[in-house]
Amino acid sequence: MKKLEPGMAYDTNKLNKLFAFLSVLFLMITVWVFLDDYIRPWKAVQLEAMKIKKEMIQKKLDEAEKEINKDKLSSLKGGLTDAEKIVSSRKKEISKLEVEITQNQKLLKAETILNGTLNSYVGGLTFKYEQAQLKNKSNKAVVFADLKKNKKLFAESKDRMKGYSFRAKELFAKKQGLQKEVLDTDKKIKAMTIKTELLGKALAKTNVDPIFALRNAPMIDYLDPTLKIQQIVLNNIKDDRYFQQVPRVDRCITCHTFISEAGYEDQPNPHKTHPNLDLMVGKDSPHPMKETGCTVCHGGEGHRVNDFTSVAHWPQNEEQKKEWVKKYNWHEPHRIPSPMLKLQHTEASCVKCHQGVEFIPGATVLNEGRQNIEKYGCYGCHKIDGWEHKRMAGPSLKKIASKVDKEFFKNWVWDPKSFNPHAMMPRFFGQSNNSEPKHMVKNIAEVNAIAEFIWEKSKAYKPFMKYTGGDSTRGKELTGQVGCLGCHGVQGMEEVSEKIGAYAGPYLYGTGSKVDPDWLVSWLKKPNHYQEDTIMPSLRLTDREANDIASYLLSLKNKKFEGYKFEPMDEKSRDQILMAYLSAFDTEKVAGAKLAKMSDRERTLELGYRSVGKYGCYSCHNIDGFEGRGPIGPELTKEGSKPLTQFGFGLQKQVEHTRDGWIKAHLLDPRRWDIGIDKPFQDLTRMPNFYLTDREAETMTLAILGQVDEKIPLKGVKRLNSSEQIVEKGMKVINKFNCIGCHQVDGYRGDILAQYDEDLNEGPPRLVGEGHRVQLDWFHYFLDNVYPVRPWLKIRMPSYNLTDEERNTIVTMFQYKADQKALVDRSKIVDWKPGEKDAAWKLWDEMACASCHSAGFNNDDPQAPNLYFARRRLRPSWVKKWLLDPQAILPGTLMPNFWTDGESTSPDILGGDPDRQIDALTKLMYDFGTEKLPTENTKYWSKQ
Amino acid sequence: MRELINWIADPIRSFPIACVLFFLMMKYYRIIGTKKFLYASLVVVVPVTIWFAADPNFFTILILPDNIPIIILLVLVAFLTWLTIYKAAVNDARIEKGLGPLEGTPENREKVWSWPNLVYTELFMIIAATSFLIVWAILFKAPLEEPANPTWAPNPAKAPWYFLGLQEMLVYFDPWMAGVVLPGVVVVGLIAIPYIDTNPKGNGYFTIAERPVAMWGFLFGWLVLWIYLIIVGTFLRGPNWTFYGPFEYWDFHKVVADYNVNLSEFMWIKWFNTAMPANMFVREILGIIISLGYILVLPPLSGATKYGKMMIEKVGTIRYYIFIVLLLLMMSLPIKMVLRWLFSLKYIVALPELELNL
Repeated sequence: MKKLEPGMAYDTNKLNKLFAFLSVLFLMITVWVFLDDYIRPWKAVQLEAMKIKKEMIQKKLDEAEKEINKDKLSSLKGGLTDAEKIVSSRKKEISKLEVEITQNQKLLKAETILNGTLNSYVGGLTFKYEQAQLKNKSNKAVVFADLKKNKKLFAESKDRMKGYSFRAKELFAKKQGLQKEVLDTDKKIKAMTIKTELLGKALAKTNVDPIFALRNAPMIDYLDPTLKIQQIVLNNIKDDRYFQQVPRVDRCITCHTFISEAGYEDQPNPHKTHPNLDLMVGKDSPHPMKETGCTVCHGGEGHRVNDFTSVAHWPQNEEQKKEWVKKYNWHEPHRIPSPMLKLQHTEASCVKCHQGVEFIPGATVLNEGRQNIEKYGCYGCHKIDGWEHKRMAGPSLKKIASKVDKEFFKNWVWDPKSFNPHAMMPRFFGQSNNSEPKHMVKNIAEVNAIAEFIWEKSKAYKPFMKYTGGDSTRGKELTGQVGCLGCHGVQGMEEVSEKIGAYAGPYLYGTGSKVDPDWLVSWLKKPNHYQEDTIMPSLRLTDREANDIASYLLSLKNKKFEGYKFEPMDEKSRDQILMAYLSAFDTEKVAGAKLAKMSDRERTLELGYRSVGKYGCYSCHNIDGFEGRGPIGPELTKEGSKPLTQFGFGLQKQVEHTRDGWIKAHLLDPRRWDIGIDKPFQDLTRMPNFYLTDREAETMTLAILGQVDEKIPLKGVKRLNSSEQIVEKGMKVINKFNCIGCHQVDGYRGDILAQYDEDLNEGPPRLVGEGHRVQLDWFHYFLDNVYPVRPWLKIRMPSYNLTDEERNTIVTMFQYKADQKALVDRSKIVDWKPGEKDAAWKLWDEMACASCHSAGFNNDDPQAPNLYFARRRLRPSWVKKWLLDPQAILPGTLMPNFWTDGESTSPDILGGDPDRQIDALTKLMYDFGTEKLPTENTKYWSKQ
Repeated sequence: MRELINWIADPIRSFPIACVLFFLMMKYYRIIGTKKFLYASLVVVVPVTIWFAADPNFFTILILPDNIPIIILLVLVAFLTWLTIYKAAVNDARIEKGLGPLEGTPENREKVWSWPNLVYTELFMIIAATSFLIVWAILFKAPLEEPANPTWAPNPAKAPWYFLGLQEMLVYFDPWMAGVVLPGVVVVGLIAIPYIDTNPKGNGYFTIAERPVAMWGFLFGWLVLWIYLIIVGTFLRGPNWTFYGPFEYWDFHKVVADYNVNLSEFMWIKWFNTAMPANMFVREILGIIISLGYILVLPPLSGATKYGKMMIEKVGTIRYYIFIVLLLLMMSLPIKMVLRWLFSLKYIVALPELELNL
């Protein structure tokens, strides 16, 4: 061992070496810090984007260069030398002129200085003079004189300046005149090469050159980097940062570089263009990127750019998950309450801003999901804000005893699908959590009790018609023709029923095993006789027709179901369940005493009452004694924001641990959470099984996911203006009465048209701009006094049992939808000019209008509406639009176009001027048309 | 085996085990304080640690960024404790032979310049420690999380690692006691040590034989009441601050049977079979008497014992009483823990009306 110096514990040399080592280490670590800070994943992405952009520009440049006419360009360039020669011959003049220009410039500059000086004098003196005035100083006269003098000088200087400026323009023009030939040729060349030149410049910007390197060098890249975080600040959308609302910042475009630019559709992610630029993100779309951002729809942590996972990207499926794990080292993001929506669920976000509307254009899956929610009546048991106006999903049970028999009722309640495979009523019993015998016997007691209770409450009803038998073949034909299929699927017509997919009314299956024949004919004839508030309309069937249809429906039987005998009530089980109810707040003894006091019948009715409340029957069916009761299910208004930890996954390990995973699994089998869990009978999950298809569950999941607790400021949401509000109010009514089951309203629904896909003209009329087509007083009248407008149609416009308010709402809705708010003054339409009427009749004949619009003109079967009634029905402005181009309004209509491309087919009449011809024809129609409104019994053929 | 370890790890069992281990360690420190023991224990501990880490549930907890300093701490604490005991064992053996501590030998008493011997090396350590922290921060991405969300607290919500022992106390004490009074006493007590401990032995060297009270008392507080509770808080407390064995999955929905009863409820309802008195002081009279007795009567009683008299003679009356009160307060934690486990005792004195629960 080396001897140490005195007073030293260590060898100084060694210490120095250690110090050197540590210093170098520390330096390296410092460099590492900067590198770690500098190297960010998004920079690599932006470099990649630059490369893609470069290729793109290069391609465009190549194309642009190809477009240039080389010969013309070289000839122009040749011309340039000639021009230069011409101009150089004027060299002397030009150089003289240039001297003059410089001279003038000098004078102008000198004058500008003088003028500025004088201006400041004037300003100073003005203040001085005003002060002198104010304080009445003795020198005010002197100051005033001085001010006057300077003002004059200033004005003179200004005038000289104007002179020099004018002179400069003059000289410049003169010089250009002398260089005219060169300048003109230059301009021509420039016009040809400007595109390539600009593209070249853009291309140069994508070069990785020293300047690029310098701008993006570590440490100095704060000055003016080209690779940088790009962001959108959304002032209309606030993030709740607890105690503070801050504008949302989306930095997604840092990596999704070309999301808003068309032309990058084929690039790999993240450089792809948004797939729906017309609707989203695009500059001219209703949701421009700068205003809507990204995360409002997609969700996720838009402000983060650390790496792929931190943003809370979420894979669509297992396959993509695997891919991402491999590619981006993806894992579930930590502590993110709402990660990005799976791509297929993005539409859920529409609901955030588009509220209070029946459907959202463009959000097809969401609309489908909401339609399914409506179909199954989820809103009955689960409150959802904005769904309060929906009608009860099931029929009223207030007079049920006269409609079906009790045995049927019990078997039906036990298992609706075993009677009708299309039943929308869900199944409560025989599920995974209540199929054990000890549960079954109690459930049977409950169903028996419910039946007794409902029958006890059921009011007497006597059908007003007797079923007299009918022709079931004709009945089937009628059922398929008159429009039943707009609301009902029908057994025996499965194919077309499936095509239409109607759900407003029940699928008519095994009806013969279900209802009383007299009840059925009475119902068909006049539905509101039995149930006042039914939406089922009258189709104005004759007694014969009603009997025929009834005969067909009665021929539909479910023999197997008829054979079912429902188990009688086990009284012991009944009493056990009742005890559980009664002892909820009382001791067993008190409850027992209470029970003992009740008679046998009372006990059954009490259990019936309790069970209707327990299973929430009253949510879908009108039952006496349950008015105003709250729904039994949890509210879904904010379900999409419910913390994941609050979803009980029970023992269902196979269910994906996400919000949508739970909701979908729940929809497909609501009772699964009870499996393997010990619960008393009364606490078993009650949500019934709807036997949804995977597609239905998926779309409903999406719709429920959209119910989030996120406050978008009013400025940010879509707010309906007063017209749109009126339209939406009407949409709710036409949705309630399922008008859209038959009529397509401006492209929306019209389910039954699927039946008429071979000839749309045989189906119910499509309503395109209906408020513009018809006069509002006619429309109002028509809704209450339906008469055939198109007698060749087999399908019938039903007579609805509308309240005054509902009728008004529908009429106003169409008016506002078409922006036609005024009544038509019919007295002013017909105002013949000389010779016009004759010309109109001539046109009428030439165009053979009466060959289709034959009613009242000849005895042919009409193929088009009776024009005698048009005076009261149609708006003249619409008639003109219609005549000019019927296909533009109703594609596929039989009405021919007589003025294709503004060319009249009758050039000799009225000078062949389409406007005048159309005007004349319109007047003619209103001229011969009748003022009297037709009624149901009016002869369609007559002239009136 | 894993089930068994999960079962043993519950504080009800692991705390007495920790106490016994501590006792054994202090009792047989001459054996533990040998290099042979160090190597032998390494041979045992390393494979066991690897086996522990092989469990996915334990591994998940182990690699949480917040837990890494705790692992470093545990390794350091284990090693430094051994080092202390080793040095003390060597010195005590020398002292027994009358040689005096190793640090007291003439060659170890030589003086050296503080510059560069001390200051320079301190600089090295500053650089090395800074480097270490930076590398650590880069490699483990020093977590900078979302702004705090009062409506969505993390579960389990854990204190910084150095406070986990305090947080564990919350299980047994009212927040006011566990969060304010006891930590305050800890701080005051630590500050007071140099003024209480007037024993000149052990200056500059380690010894257990020459200062048994200080070593036993301090190491018990430090290892069993502080480090052990940090271990429990880190590895064995999961969502809802429920106990989870080291190999147990942190199931959010785990429910443990736990219902605690106050001493006053024991007394009036169970023993006297009467209703609780309306007056709160009457109601809590037993707890008040016990608590006052614990803190006011025990010190003079202990001072009257042979051992107490000896101590008073050595350090003086005031020092002795301060020491004994601090010791009693420290011991209140294990006492309360044991009472909780044995009798489901909630509070000895339960005066929520005065925010005073002991």
